[in-house]
Amino acid sequence: MSVPVIYSPQYKLYNFGPQHPFSPVRLEMLLDLLEHLGHPLHFVEPAQATREDVRSVHLESFVRRVEAAGRGERSPDFDHYGIGTADTPIFPGMDEAARWLVGGTLTAARMISSGQAREVLQLGGGLHHAQKDLASGFCVYNDLSVAIRHLTGQGLRVAYIDIDVHHGDGVQWIHYDEPGVLTFSIHESGRYLYPGTGHTHEIGKAEGTGRKLNIPLEPFTEDDSYLEVLQMGLEPALRWFRPDALVIQCGADAHYQDPLAEILLTTRAYAKVFPLLRQYAADFAGGRAVYTLGGGYSLDATSRIWAMLYLTLQGLPLPDHLPEPWLRRWGTQLGHFLTHTLHDLEAAYPEIPRKPEIERRNRQVTERMLESVRPYWN
Amino acid sequence: MLVKDVMHSPVLTVDASVTLEAAYHIMLQRNIRHIPVTREGRVVGMITDRDIRLATSPFAAGGARPIETPVEQVMAQPVVTGDPLDPVEEAARVMRQRKIGALPILDGNELVGIVTGIDLLDALLRLTGVQKPSGRLEVCLDDRPGELARLSSELAQNNINIHSLLTYPCGENTVTTVVRIGTLDVRKLARDLRQKGYEVRWPPEIPGKSL
Repeated sequence: MSVPVIYSPQYKLYNFGPQHPFSPVRLEMLLDLLEHLGHPLHFVEPAQATREDVRSVHLESFVRRVEAAGRGERSPDFDHYGIGTADTPIFPGMDEAARWLVGGTLTAARMISSGQAREVLQLGGGLHHAQKDLASGFCVYNDLSVAIRHLTGQGLRVAYIDIDVHHGDGVQWIHYDEPGVLTFSIHESGRYLYPGTGHTHEIGKAEGTGRKLNIPLEPFTEDDSYLEVLQMGLEPALRWFRPDALVIQCGADAHYQDPLAEILLTTRAYAKVFPLLRQYAADFAGGRAVYTLGGGYSLDATSRIWAMLYLTLQGLPLPDHLPEPWLRRWGTQLGHFLTHTLHDLEAAYPEIPRKPEIERRNRQVTERMLESVRPYWN
Repeated sequence: MLVKDVMHSPVLTVDASVTLEAAYHIMLQRNIRHIPVTREGRVVGMITDRDIRLATSPFAAGGARPIETPVEQVMAQPVVTGDPLDPVEEAARVMRQRKIGALPILDGNELVGIVTGIDLLDALLRLTGVQKPSGRLEVCLDDRPGELARLSSELAQNNINIHSLLTYPCGENTVTTVVRIGTLDVRKLARDLRQKGYEVRWPPEIPGKSL
């Protein structure tokens, strides 16, 4: 049975302008690639999230300002809400556009809570930096948290898994004291990378203590070390927590080509990560999982990684070569070379001299994280 | 950051006539290690859990003191104190030089607070920590007037907010400047800065990154 895919052309309204890295071109290239690969796309049309849906996570004062900014109004206090910054500039209709992305992820969650589907792929969303009263890091509303709130409201225990290269800070802080939500984020260490948080000592508070997990990775981490500590940290957590559903943010910016970060994954790592997460959903969460997109700013890499996500979820074979017409079209449009194969070239980047030290430190930090949360697992 | 921003108040004190036993129990109950000692409301000494343990130890020179001994016979005096308007680094320097773990803070003759080593660690965490979502930019600047202004105006032109800024000397005539800035896209900024001749230490240049 194929996994339902949620998408609306309205997603492309979420657009901060031509110079901004969080570009709707990423979606266009992905959809075009899937079609060229000969897979006719059938989408579930999402319902746009309502104001009330958004308010299940965000404060009234914040929502009012996003709406006002989208209508063209200006206020000196927008800064305090992260609105109109370099990362999250104002654009007309930003409230409506953001509500489309929230609606997609929420529709996916509803399909799961109603039993209509077990796994759902949302081709958008993953805006994990948005906080209850703060737009941040390209994220206006937090679609993931709205979906998680819906699931917990239906009595489900949710494990949130975030493989974006940036810490999933918004989701973590929004659910920081909630016992029914486990958050797990694996990312480049906040000592170096935005947003600066996601340290092992952030483990939740009150009833949520021991249920917020972070693996901050050394810059220049490669495939083997990443896969090792992902399994080392995530599997025992899921085995203990026994969620009813997973919400998975599949940001593709830990790839070595990504222009915004310093982790060096190749497509070979993603080809293992996606089936692994699917296996975890089957083993520990009754097979229920929402997959969303997220960060990913190398157009060449994100198209290939997310195509791999789609194909993996649909149980379709992974092609070696990418379709010529697609390569020609987008190569011309972007004015630069695109990788001709689904996988990266062998030895795609220079050897990293600190590799053994990086592997040791990643292992150590994961052990430290487990040591600090395990006393709360009972 | 001033001492008054990090000190604890009100301060628990004991009278000079209180016994070592009573003082030690107060420390255990309150989970503290230092108590200012007062006589007629004025600070005359400091007593620590270590002072008490050493004084009552069988290894003490002249033999263990009885636990009924008044604290005034064991306390450290005269007291080293700080002022609420001292900068925290001044308090840190005094505590480091005198090798003491806590500093009573006096406003005139009145005891208004106490600063311990732990409070200074908290201050360090506040100074270097991340309170707002931000990325790290590390630039090596020439040690001369106007360099920092030049860097911060680059950030201002890009509408990027500075959340914290630390500098420390590196080499002869240069200063490492670590700035936490409110943007996810530090690499683009780093590229622009390099093109303008800045020596950017973080994020590093990586060959093979796409744009």
